[in-house]
Amino acid sequence: MLFVVVVGMAVAGWGAPQVLVVAGLGGEADYATAFVDQAQRVARAAESVGADVTLLVGDEARGEDIRRALAELASAGGAERLVVTLIGHGSYDGEEYRFNVPGPDPTAHDLAAWLAPVPAASQLVVLATSASGAAVDVLKSAERERAVVSATRDGREQNAVVFGGFWAAALGERRADVDKDGRIDADEAFAFAEQAVAAHYEDAQRIATEHPRTEGALAGFPLATLAGRADATPAAGGRRAELLAEVDALRDAKDDYAEEDYFAALQELLLELAALERQRDPQ
Amino acid sequence: MRAAALILAGLAPMCWAASLGSLEECRDLEFEDGDAAKPCFEALLTEDDAAIRAEAAWALDDVPAANALFRSALRAAPERTELRVRWGELFFDAQNPAEAQRLFAEALGQDPANVPAKLGMARVALGGFDARAEALANEVLAADADNADARLILARLALEADDPPRATAELEGPLAAQDKRTRLRALALRAAMDHLADRLPSEWEEQATALHPGDGALHETIAHFYIITRRYREAIRQLEKAVAADPTLWSAYATLGMNLLRVNRFEEGYRMLTAAHDGAPYNAEVVNALRLLDEVMAWPQDAADGLILRIDPTEAGALAAYVRETTEQALAVFAERYAYRPPAAVVVELYRRHEDFAVRTSGLPGIGILGATFGDVVVMDGPSARGIDDGFDWASALWHEIAHVVTLGATNNRVARWFSEGVSVLEEWQTGPSRFRVDGAPGGRRAVPLNVVDVHREGKLLPVADLDEGFIRPRYPGQVGVSYTQAGLVCEYIRHAYGGEALVRLLDRFAAGESTAEAIEAALDVHPDALDQAFASYLDERFAGIDPEAFRAASAEANDALEAGDWIAASEAAARAAASYSYYVDPMSPYLMLAKAEEELGRRDRATAALRTYWQAGGRRTAPLARLADQLPAAEERLAVLRSLAVAAPLIGDYRVRLGDALLANGSAAEARREFAAYLSLEPHDRADAHYRLARSLFALEDREAARHEVLLALEIAPSYAEALELLTAIIAGQAP
Repeated sequence: MLFVVVVGMAVAGWGAPQVLVVAGLGGEADYATAFVDQAQRVARAAESVGADVTLLVGDEARGEDIRRALAELASAGGAERLVVTLIGHGSYDGEEYRFNVPGPDPTAHDLAAWLAPVPAASQLVVLATSASGAAVDVLKSAERERAVVSATRDGREQNAVVFGGFWAAALGERRADVDKDGRIDADEAFAFAEQAVAAHYEDAQRIATEHPRTEGALAGFPLATLAGRADATPAAGGRRAELLAEVDALRDAKDDYAEEDYFAALQELLLELAALERQRDPQ
Repeated sequence: MRAAALILAGLAPMCWAASLGSLEECRDLEFEDGDAAKPCFEALLTEDDAAIRAEAAWALDDVPAANALFRSALRAAPERTELRVRWGELFFDAQNPAEAQRLFAEALGQDPANVPAKLGMARVALGGFDARAEALANEVLAADADNADARLILARLALEADDPPRATAELEGPLAAQDKRTRLRALALRAAMDHLADRLPSEWEEQATALHPGDGALHETIAHFYIITRRYREAIRQLEKAVAADPTLWSAYATLGMNLLRVNRFEEGYRMLTAAHDGAPYNAEVVNALRLLDEVMAWPQDAADGLILRIDPTEAGALAAYVRETTEQALAVFAERYAYRPPAAVVVELYRRHEDFAVRTSGLPGIGILGATFGDVVVMDGPSARGIDDGFDWASALWHEIAHVVTLGATNNRVARWFSEGVSVLEEWQTGPSRFRVDGAPGGRRAVPLNVVDVHREGKLLPVADLDEGFIRPRYPGQVGVSYTQAGLVCEYIRHAYGGEALVRLLDRFAAGESTAEAIEAALDVHPDALDQAFASYLDERFAGIDPEAFRAASAEANDALEAGDWIAASEAAARAAASYSYYVDPMSPYLMLAKAEEELGRRDRATAALRTYWQAGGRRTAPLARLADQLPAAEERLAVLRSLAVAAPLIGDYRVRLGDALLANGSAAEARREFAAYLSLEPHDRADAHYRLARSLFALEDREAARHEVLLALEIAPSYAEALELLTAIIAGQAP
């Protein structure tokens, strides 16, 4: 089986996130191939935002490998954000969620314990597996700002999930970038994948056997930069950032304006923003 | 009260010796004076025998009590078959035929020769337009040739099959019966015959009125025949008489309500259904209709240019423009071909759930499974009730229904069912949105389902004069579908052999009230038998060279080869299948298998050619059409395929966007605006993009203020949206599009 460990080059500046991506056991060949492909796409997307990426697949994605990778991230420290993505099959026996990997399957409590020492203040755990809803409450953390995304509502949804494929697709999908900042944040990826999962079951006229779920704040976890829009990072500061903040403030106060006045004010800010964009990119 | 008594008429209650006399006396009294009978029945409620009390409760309209009493009586004496039958009749009367049928079947299990149980089964079959009704009635007559109830059933069947002479013969015995209720039912059927033939005033109706003044059931019976011949306005007038004559005839209120809806009189329909529900709260059909109305009557009505649309608001934005355009095009095409345009507004209702459509069409025989037309009112499944990839081509179905509006309207609803269906099917094939348009195809004719070829070769197609039977009372599985296609083929043949004018002449003959046989003789100057022979020869020629077995074998072979990844074998087998039956686009179309194999073999041109043939022959599955659009080099043809794709699956945003982009690139900004507005109405995930695309089309149309508004909506969501910022700048700077 494949064994890949990629360590991306961190980009200094606004806090390169630490990223761990794991493809679990596929069981059948089609699943195995799909899980590796999805994990590789998630890892490549993370590289595009300058993350330090660790990718574990195949025989090197054992529970012990996951524990060791998280321990290394904990000792490396320095990152503000951590994103862990587990792709594959999961199970739930009524008491404990398990992520299916070669060798002993790590439980939700194992994962929580391994995550605990990682100092990154903002953490996101994505569980693109069956039964993953059962792990959400365990992985939520009172001590840390940790958001959790699961492919299923609870542990009873045990059929293989399609969520992982759509999550990986979102990271390269222009339509997922709803705020058009050239970057796919976790909230955008989740919204895209959630809608795609629902549409998948509706189109197939099958009862949906997975209902993606999220706990915690997903905004602010950049997961991918879209091709050709590599400059669209929060690093762009100055007047542009001020203008974007002013647009935000205006939107929040929309109800206080007459409609015409609101759009006139919005237009004024946006025309200035457009002028700035032209200066940045004269083409 | 009256309904219970009428069902009992002709039956011989068997063993309630002590009180039977009293029960019969009450019933006689009821026939003469319903109000006077009430104390008589009330007195029977104190009888010891639960069965007598059940009959009395039933007569007093207390269905729940009657039900409980029959159950109790049968628990005490389960061997009493006659009680089981009467209990079944109670359910039948309370409009629960499934439970009635179960009880009749149980009774026949106890006593296989039980005549009332057989008649009960026959009535259930009759109500469900099930061909077994005739066999059951004949079984009864085999043992008792004078059984009036069986004769009445056969008369009703004959009349439903538009065979008045046979109905007249069957009614001879019942008309001479001693029992007044039997005579009354026979008179009602004769009166219905007069109404259907426009012989008014009807002497039979007068006799019935004289025999039993104020009989609502008489008018209900006449209304039934108006309904099944789609003359809903006349039916409504009869049902109004029925409820005026008998204000407790709840079944008539229910039927009146349903038929008022069919002529777009929603408010009145709602009132009548509410009255029906208040009087008889167990009628599921009424409950379902009221639930649906509560929803539909809250929808905004889109009325303009002689067309009224009722579409679920969540889908109206994506569908209304297509529905309007398709309907208007159809009306224009049919005005040209059939010299008729509806004088009043046409109503089109589209339902998201098939169950809602079913509520609007319940109680009608041979109704389209997915669409129905009540005069000027078209009711049908929308694309979300069933998708194009499940075989439902909603736009083609709408075209079909609008053709019904024309054939029904041109004949004041007197057109034979087969002819109306035949014209609709023919127009789907020849002029509809998924019409056959293969360049240079010999004959230029749509491929029909293979089972029709089989049925023709087996000699099982119905004579044209009897073709309505294939819709109303099918005798083998799939006959309804075969009858649709046969009707289309008959009309195709008439157009081919006699010209399009012949179809118009037939409409004129039907409008004059002629039967199929008369109309064919008059309009085509040919005897129906001769037409059948000529039609069979036409089919021999049309189906020449089609080898269904070879087609099926080659298709199966191609399918297996595809699954095995043997692309060469798949290509060869699919090509053989296509040669065995050209232009076949139904499920398992060889062109789709051929395209897949050729694509895998890297022979893109051949794959494109196969997909093009599939599309031109009327195939509308989405994935193949999307691939074809990707592969076509010519912008014009690509645009045509994208139009087909968007129309076939109008609720899939991606297809609307693709078409919008192609239209905008083609300079068709107005159409592009429609596509982008539809896309936005579907609430896509990427709303900023949807607003931006709409803004682009508006800018291209030089509607700068609307474009500005839309682009600001895009930027409100996504202020960093570079393309939208550029567009805003261009709009404000007054640049040319």
